[in-house]
Amino acid sequence: DRQTLVAVLQFLRRSNLRESEEILRREARLLGDDLGGSVATVATSSPAVAAVAAVPPGKGEDRGNCGVGSSSRREPGKWGANVLLTASGALRDAGIQGPSSKITHFGEVIGGAVVVEDQPDVSAVLSAYNQQGDPTLYEEYYSGLKHFIECSLDCHRAELSQLFYPLFVHMYLELVYNQHESEAKSFFERFHGDQECYYQDDLRVLSSLTKKEHMKGNETMLDFRTSKFVLRISRDSYQLLKRHLQEKQNNQIWNIVQEHLYIDIFDGMPRSKQQIDAMVGSLAGEAKREANKAKVFFGLLKEPEFDVPLDDEDEEGENEEGKPKKKKPKKDNVGSKSKKQDPNAPPQNRIPLPELKDSDKLDKVMNMKEAARRVRLGPECLPSICFYTFLNAYQGLTAVDITDDSSMIVGGFADSTVRVWSVTPKKLRSVKTAADLSLIDKESDDVLERIMDEKTASELKILYGHSGPVYGTSFSPDRNYLLSCSEDGTVRLWSLQTFTCLVGYKGHNYPVWDTQFSPYGYYFVSGGHDRVARLWATDHYQPLRIFAGHLADVTCTRFHPNSNYIATGSADRTIRLWDVLNGNCVRIFTGHKGPIHSLAFSPNGRFLATGATDGRVLLWDIGHGLMVGELKGHTDTIYALRFSRDGEILASGSMDNTVRLWDAVKAFEDLETDDFTTATGHINLPENSQDLLLGTYMTKSTPVVHLHFTRRNLLLAAGAYSSQ
Amino acid sequence: MEAAKMASPKSAPKDAQVMAQILKDMGITEYEPRVINQMLEFAYRYVTTILEDAKIYSSHAKKSSVDADDVRLAIQCRTDQSFTSPPPRDFLLDIARQKNQTPLPLIKPYSGPRLPPDRYCLTAPNYRLKSLQKKVSSTAGRITVPRLSVGAVSSRPSTPTLGTPSAQTVSVSAKVGAPVSLAGQRFTVQIPSSQPTGKSATPTTPTVQNVLINPSLIGPKNILITTNMVPPGAAADPNPLKRKHEDDDDYDAL
Repeated sequence: DRQTLVAVLQFLRRSNLRESEEILRREARLLGDDLGGSVATVATSSPAVAAVAAVPPGKGEDRGNCGVGSSSRREPGKWGANVLLTASGALRDAGIQGPSSKITHFGEVIGGAVVVEDQPDVSAVLSAYNQQGDPTLYEEYYSGLKHFIECSLDCHRAELSQLFYPLFVHMYLELVYNQHESEAKSFFERFHGDQECYYQDDLRVLSSLTKKEHMKGNETMLDFRTSKFVLRISRDSYQLLKRHLQEKQNNQIWNIVQEHLYIDIFDGMPRSKQQIDAMVGSLAGEAKREANKAKVFFGLLKEPEFDVPLDDEDEEGENEEGKPKKKKPKKDNVGSKSKKQDPNAPPQNRIPLPELKDSDKLDKVMNMKEAARRVRLGPECLPSICFYTFLNAYQGLTAVDITDDSSMIVGGFADSTVRVWSVTPKKLRSVKTAADLSLIDKESDDVLERIMDEKTASELKILYGHSGPVYGTSFSPDRNYLLSCSEDGTVRLWSLQTFTCLVGYKGHNYPVWDTQFSPYGYYFVSGGHDRVARLWATDHYQPLRIFAGHLADVTCTRFHPNSNYIATGSADRTIRLWDVLNGNCVRIFTGHKGPIHSLAFSPNGRFLATGATDGRVLLWDIGHGLMVGELKGHTDTIYALRFSRDGEILASGSMDNTVRLWDAVKAFEDLETDDFTTATGHINLPENSQDLLLGTYMTKSTPVVHLHFTRRNLLLAAGAYSSQ
Repeated sequence: MEAAKMASPKSAPKDAQVMAQILKDMGITEYEPRVINQMLEFAYRYVTTILEDAKIYSSHAKKSSVDADDVRLAIQCRTDQSFTSPPPRDFLLDIARQKNQTPLPLIKPYSGPRLPPDRYCLTAPNYRLKSLQKKVSSTAGRITVPRLSVGAVSSRPSTPTLGTPSAQTVSVSAKVGAPVSLAGQRFTVQIPSSQPTGKSATPTTPTVQNVLINPSLIGPKNILITTNMVPPGAAADPNPLKRKHEDDDDYDAL
C-alpha cells in the first residue's frame, strides 16, 4: 500500500499537480502514525481520497466520497488501486481530463504489478518491509537515535542500547528488500562497528546479504524478520524512549520499533550492562516473562522398590512399600520418602512408559549394587579420569556414546560407519542363526549365554548403512538397541544382538544433528537442520511429537531424567524445554552467544547445564526459569557436559583439549530465589568461576567429544587424536 | 584480482586465488587446504550442469544459441531440485500443532521387540533363494538346507513356495524371544519325500502353510519353533503368477 502511495506521489509530482501531492503527502504522514490493522489504514486513506477529491470542487466531491465509502469496504491488499481509481474518477469528473486518464492507467499498471510481484509465501513474510520512509534518511534516523541514547542517563543507557542491534538489522534488511543496494551498503559500513562484539558472526552473515534474492532462501533470516525481537526494558527507560520517538521527526524509527520489536516492560530498577550482557545474545532477543511461567514437573519419577539381595540366590523381588526387610544401601530418593509424592514430580502415568521387564529389573539390581560402591565425589575427592582416544580417525569422529554400565562404546564417523567396541574384556557377540538356536536347550539357566554365537566374537563391530556422516549416537538403556542419526536425514535403529539395522526413521529431510534415547527406553528424540526436534517411539514409523519454534537448526537434544521433558539447544543460541505430553514449549533460556552444542540435566532433575561455542557453561534453574550460574574458563566450544552420578561435580570437555571439573554443589547452593528475582528474572551472577573450578586436565591435542561417569563415579572421556 | 594475501606459498592458479579471496570475504579464516579444491570443483560442476541444462532448453525451443532466459530457467529448475531449504516456520508450527494434538499412544505390555510394522523395517530379506525342484527327482535323498547369515532375517508373511508335485516344501519359522530382535526367520528346505526331516524334534502337524504366529513372549527363555508341513498335494498348485525357473542348472547345489 505504501509503495503505491509513494508511486502516486511521484506521479503527481511529475504531472505537476503540486497541491494534490502536498495533501496526499500530509495524509500519508498520518498513515505512518497508526499501523494497527488494515482497517485503520483504509480509514485514514479515505481522508486522503477526500482531500484529493476536495481539490476539484463541485461534483467531484460526491464522487470522491462515494469512492471513499466503497474503498473502505475493499480488501486491504487492493485498496491502493481503488484509491487511485476513485482519485482518477474524481479528477475526471472535475474536468481535468489528461492527468486523470494517466492516473487510471498508472493505477492499473501498479495494481497489477503489486499483486503479481512476489510469490505468495514470500510476499506474506517480506511484506513486513514496506517502505517506511526515504531510504537516504535512514542513516540520519539511526544516528539521531544513537545520539539520543548516548546522551541519556547512565542508568538508562545500558537498557536503551539494547535497541541498537535489532534496529540496525531491521533497517538494513528493509533497505535491501526495497532494493536500495548502495544505501544499504553505506548504512552497514557506517554502523556495523558499533554493535556488540557478540553479534559479529550475525553481522558477517548480514554483510553478504546485499540483494533481495539473497534473502529469499535463508530461512533463519526470514524467521528473524517475522518473529518479534524481544527486549526487556524497565518502565522508566521505556517512557523516556517513547517520549523521544513520538516526536515528529523520529516517526520512522517508532514505526519500526512497533512493528518488529516486542518490548517486555517490567517495573523496577533498570538493569546494568553486566546483567543485560549475561542474558542477551540470541537471535530473537530475550525470552518474554510469560514464556517461562508454566509449571514444570522437574522431579524424578518414583523408582519401584527393590530389596537388594546380599547374596545372589536370595532375590525377593520387588517390594512396593517403603520398609525394606534387609539392610539396604542408603540412597537419597528411595526409601523413607517413598510414601509422599514429590509435588514437583510428574504423576507416574503422565506419559506412557514401557513396563519393566525381567532383564530391566536385573539391571536395576546391578545398578544398586554398584551404587553402593560408588565413590562420593567432592572438592577434596576428585574423580579419576580415564580417556579413550580414537587413533587414526583422520578427523572423522563425529559422535560418541557409552552405555550406562560402561560396557560398550560407540563411535559415529564421517565416513558414515558406526563402530561399536567393547570396553570390558568381554567380547561382542551376535546371536546365533535360527538353525542353531533351535538346537540349544531352552530351559538351561545360562540360555542367555548359549544364544550367543562364539564364532562371531570380536572386539569391534562395524555397522554400515548410513549414507552420510553420523552426527549422533545413543545406546538404549537396556543395551539392546543403538540409535544413530546422520547427515542423510535418517535416524537408524540397530540391534546390538544381531548387529544389523532394523529401522530407518525418515522424517527430517535434512541433516539430523543429534539423537537420544529416553532414560526408560522406547522413546527417542532427534533434532536437525529443519529447525524442529521430533519425538519418536521405536514402534512408530512417524514421529509422535514435533517441537517447532527454534529459529535455526536444533543442534542438541536431551531428555529430562523423568522423561517428561526434552531440552533442545539450537544454533539460534537459545535452549528450549518442551513438554512431551503436549508439545508445548515451557521454558526458553537465552544468554549464550553462540550455537549450543552440549546439554546436561542434573541427576535430581532441577538444573540444566549448557555449553556453547562461546566457551561458557551456563547453569539454569528449571523450576524458576532463571540463569543461576556461569562458568567461564574454556576457550573453545564445549562439546561434552556431564554431571556426576549424585550431582556433586560437573565435568565439561571442550575443543580446547581440556576437561574441567566444577563444583556443582557450591554453584547451586546459595540461590536468591525470592519473589523479586522470580518475577522479573533479574539475576546477579557472582563472578565465582574461579572458585568453582576444581581442576583442569589437558589432553594431548585431543578435543574432548564425550564424557561419562560410570556407576562408581569414575569419569570416562573420549575424543579423537588430531595431530595439529 | 589482487593476489595480496595468499594461503599457499607457491603461486596457485588464478581460480584458486579467487576462491581463497571469496573465502576471506565471507569471513572464513581457518580452513584446510583441500577446501579450496572442493569449492572449485563444486563451482565447476554447478556451472557446467546449469549450462548443459540451458543448452537442452534452448535446443528444445529451437533457438540458435543459448541466451539468458535459458540459463535462468535452468537455474530455477535446479534450485527447486537440489538447493531446497527447510520448510518455513509457519508451516512447521502448523504441522506441529496437528501432530501434538493426538495423545501419546499407550504401550502394549509384553509385546516383544517394539518395532514398526514390517513394511517400515529393514528386516526383510533382500534376496530370494532359487529352488532346486527340477533336480529333485534325479538327486536322491539330499537335504538341502540353505546356509543363511544371521543378518538375513525375514518376516515376510508368505514365502514363495515353488514346488513341483513330487517335493515337499517345509517352511520353518522360528520366533525368538524378546531381547533378540529377529522378527522371524524363514527358509525353504527341499526334502525328498522318502526321508523325514532332520528336525525330528518337532511334530509333523499338518498345519496350514505360512502362518506367522506371533506369540506373546515375556522373557528370553521362550523360544518357539513351529514347523509347518505341507502335504505334497497342496504344493501342486504353485502360485501361477510366479515365474517358473528354468535356469536352475546354472547354479550349484547348495
